[in-house]
Amino acid sequence: MVFRSTRRTFLKGSVGASAMLLGAPAFLRGAAAQDNDLAPYTSAKIDWKQASGESITVAVIPASYFDNLISIAPQFQELTGINVRFEKIPPAQIRQKCVIDLTSKTGTYATHAADPMYYALYAANKWAEPLDRYLNDASLTDKAWFNFDDIIPAWRGADSVDGKLYGIPYDGEVTIQVYRKDLYEAKGLKPADNLEAFVANAAALNDPGNRIWGAALRGVAGAGQNMYIYPSIFREFGGEWFKGGKLTVNGPEAEAALTWYVDLMRKYAPAAAQNWNWPDIADAFSQGTIGAYIDAHSSASVVNNADKSKVIGKVAYARWPKGPSGKRVTSIWNWGFPINAALPDKRKKATWLFIQWAASAETQARTSYKFAGPAKRSGVNRTSVWKDPAYIKLMSSFGNNFVEAAMDSLQHDTDVDWRPRVPQWPAIGDTMATAIQSALAGQATVKAALDDAQKRIEPMMKG
Amino acid sequence: MTAKRLRIAAVIAISLIFILAWMFPILWSFLNSLKTDKDVLAYPPKVLFTPTLEAYRDVLFGSASILPNLVSSFIISIGTTVITMLLAVPAAYALARLRFPGKRFAGFYVLATQMLPPVGIIIPYFLVLRGIGWIDTYQGIILIYLSFSLPFAIWLLVSYFEDIPFEMEEAAYLDGASRLRTLWRIIIPQVRGGISVTVVFVFLNAWNEFLFAVVLSGNTVRPVTVAMYNFISVEQTLWTKLAAVSVLAMLPVILLGIFAQKHIVKGLTVGAVKGGGRR
Amino acid sequence: MSTGSGTSMDAPAFISSMDAGRVLARRERRFASALLAPAFAALLATTTFPLLYLIWTSTFRIDLAMPFTNGFIGIDNYRDLLADSRFWSSLSVSMIYTISTVVLQVAIGLGLALFVMGMKKGQGLFRLIAILPVVLSPAVVGMVWRTFMLQPEFGIVDFLSINAGLGSQNWLGDPTLAMISVIVIHTWQWTPFAFMVLLASLAALPDDIYEAARIDRASAWQRFRRITLPLLRPAIVMVVIMRTMVALTAFAAIFTVTGGGPGTATEILNLYAYRKSFTELSIGYGSALAVALLVVTIIISAALFAVRRAK
Repeated sequence: MVFRSTRRTFLKGSVGASAMLLGAPAFLRGAAAQDNDLAPYTSAKIDWKQASGESITVAVIPASYFDNLISIAPQFQELTGINVRFEKIPPAQIRQKCVIDLTSKTGTYATHAADPMYYALYAANKWAEPLDRYLNDASLTDKAWFNFDDIIPAWRGADSVDGKLYGIPYDGEVTIQVYRKDLYEAKGLKPADNLEAFVANAAALNDPGNRIWGAALRGVAGAGQNMYIYPSIFREFGGEWFKGGKLTVNGPEAEAALTWYVDLMRKYAPAAAQNWNWPDIADAFSQGTIGAYIDAHSSASVVNNADKSKVIGKVAYARWPKGPSGKRVTSIWNWGFPINAALPDKRKKATWLFIQWAASAETQARTSYKFAGPAKRSGVNRTSVWKDPAYIKLMSSFGNNFVEAAMDSLQHDTDVDWRPRVPQWPAIGDTMATAIQSALAGQATVKAALDDAQKRIEPMMKG
Repeated sequence: MTAKRLRIAAVIAISLIFILAWMFPILWSFLNSLKTDKDVLAYPPKVLFTPTLEAYRDVLFGSASILPNLVSSFIISIGTTVITMLLAVPAAYALARLRFPGKRFAGFYVLATQMLPPVGIIIPYFLVLRGIGWIDTYQGIILIYLSFSLPFAIWLLVSYFEDIPFEMEEAAYLDGASRLRTLWRIIIPQVRGGISVTVVFVFLNAWNEFLFAVVLSGNTVRPVTVAMYNFISVEQTLWTKLAAVSVLAMLPVILLGIFAQKHIVKGLTVGAVKGGGRR
Repeated sequence: MSTGSGTSMDAPAFISSMDAGRVLARRERRFASALLAPAFAALLATTTFPLLYLIWTSTFRIDLAMPFTNGFIGIDNYRDLLADSRFWSSLSVSMIYTISTVVLQVAIGLGLALFVMGMKKGQGLFRLIAILPVVLSPAVVGMVWRTFMLQPEFGIVDFLSINAGLGSQNWLGDPTLAMISVIVIHTWQWTPFAFMVLLASLAALPDDIYEAARIDRASAWQRFRRITLPLLRPAIVMVVIMRTMVALTAFAAIFTVTGGGPGTATEILNLYAYRKSFTELSIGYGSALAVALLVVTIIISAALFAVRRAK
């Protein structure tokens, strides 16, 4: 047995480490040691030590962007005297576990990485604290220092319900087109500006005999999987979730949107893609078998991962193609932090201090381009960081037009109601996801699948 | 002569197919755990490659080490086994060899408890554990594991106790030995084999449990069957590490399986011939 | 379950020792209660209490998404359940899954046991390898199959299929193939169980019957039909019972491999109950589904035990 001794990446998800090493060598030398000066925090005009001695548990998912936060958390403990314990829960389980904790009012998790679509449920049950009062309390928040308005508005909107804020975004993503510029150039193609062109491009590239498929979208069932991509298509076809106050999922726009999705997947995606999640798409793309996909901008780090990618330097990005309605609707996501309402008062304050620290511009920078480890976050929550030259330089190593496509999409292509934001979302999302997948798999026709979903969703909405 | 040779060839071929089929998924996971991510994703799949232990180094000693989870699995499994046996041996003895009213019902009750659908009882468990502050503790998860290990163990042990010739006990009583002493000195040694078999099965079942562990475990207590899902991260699937963790999760039970082979076969047969058993 | 030995002692012949007998019987009762009490207390706490709680919650509407609608609703959840097409489809998936895996396990296990019995060498190797799948966790098995075996392209099954000229197949994405895949996985893992039990039962059969049959010039098939099968019947029935109970409550393997998908193609009743309770957060209705699963399990095992008793 040969023991291969190469540079080892300890951090999980050592995303694009080598690519970035090549991309920004001068910069990395400067950031070799983790910045641990507390001065940028103590300049805030609040008493960071006011909840000293408290202990909080924070549930996060195993992802490099949270790993980075965990690794600098000792700074927070030094700053505030608050003891933080992190619990990593796989993404497929974190919602269930947190809902069980919230519903039982145990207060196990002071805060957790929350799915923005769950805030309506949290609000309906009063499981999470409305955060405006923390934000506006001068003893808890230095508004000028925290600069809440700097946080990407689309994500802030997604974490609010009826104008009330329930979570503070920590890390987020936005979906964009990712395409092989070498293949596109060879055929004289341009990144698609509308859905028709996207299909045409896919058709031009599709060559399964040579193991190249035109395009792929995530198809696996799940409220955060196919029901993450489909709503964008639905809205681009002019669909509205609530027509006359009634949730309708089987209208003509829905049928047209799902038909488009099914056709694209049937004709130009690998057959397996209907069961793929985003890592699978990124893996396939990184092996050079996919011409283009639409998915989270953060997947750029996987397709640029030198440990496995064969397409480094051949990737470029663009915004979502426009739909028949003339609109671009991107799917957005963020992991935000709410405050568990079951906590005693002092611990709520401690939790808020943690959230404020994690979402602050300084911590965002220290877990991103200033981070000393190999994995640099691409989902920072602040416009100011997105405009920081050091950040832009780092992200540009992912390929042409990366920062622009992501930033434009975040600013212009979203609409917080691209998915139905109601307390019943977990059930609706799951039902829709199942319906979409049965249509993709050919278990049911588009119409039958949507009609069945409508039939199942109606009783969920009735009191 | 050729017919016989053909037969032998066929026998060997069929044997190979089955043996390969049973070994292959395990073997293939092992091979993948020695690859790099590039080699895992390669098409056509690579059988020849430069092996590396990097994945093992990462999953054992990296920042997301699963060593604590392996330890967790061991504590849970051993704890469950010890407590189950302490409760099950006396109960099985009573059910097999003593006379008391309601005995048939008691036997039926033990059988019936094995039919409970685990999905349905998670929420009551959660509420009870929360009530007594045992969420994410070893005592909590072991208590819950008793729900499936105890009926199974009692069931299996009863058939062993029933096999002991009755005269042995009588002789002991005639000598004036107390019941407890008889049980300890005369009966238990007779069912040593049965006890080993039961221990092996209870340990395996506890090690392999998944559903309760998913919902009711936390940071402190998280067995490896649950922790391995951390290697399908939201960013990417960490293929080689996933393979390495799968191998590490399989290794203890495979070793146990090989060393306790005779016990397992016996347990299966006794269970099957006499009835009962869960797996 | 047999009531055990010792009943022969009841003969009331020894009138003189009746009082002593009563004392002894009382002592035995007390001893039995002392031995049983701890185990039964644990069983009550970990099985019976949660069951009662489950039945109780199944009579409520507990919908976390609409807390204001929660309350006692009697048997309404059960009424809804009977009208719920997804309940019936998941029940039929459960039935298909159970019946096909059990039949396959017994058929392959029996065939293989007969085959191995005829081998002069290599029985030990078979027994050893057969242990491997049985000891593994269904969750780990599911993960390994889903990824390294069935993943299109670099999964080995798909690779073999491509080379066999069948082309790359969408093993877990096509409704029929996904169902076949989960059945194959379960069969792969548990056939060794049937195999080992039946092999041991075969080895225990007396040789002289076969000798007699051979003298009667019965063909191999006749010997199997007339002698082996009837003698093996109790073992086969028991294997069927045990495997059926497991297949009915199987969860981890399907959960990790397909999650019930694509669509609802592999959604067994167990998984539907889980999704209702923990994804859709309708805990009352989810409880009713779990109770339904329990009822189905009881009915089927009662039927199987009746078969076992009927000689």
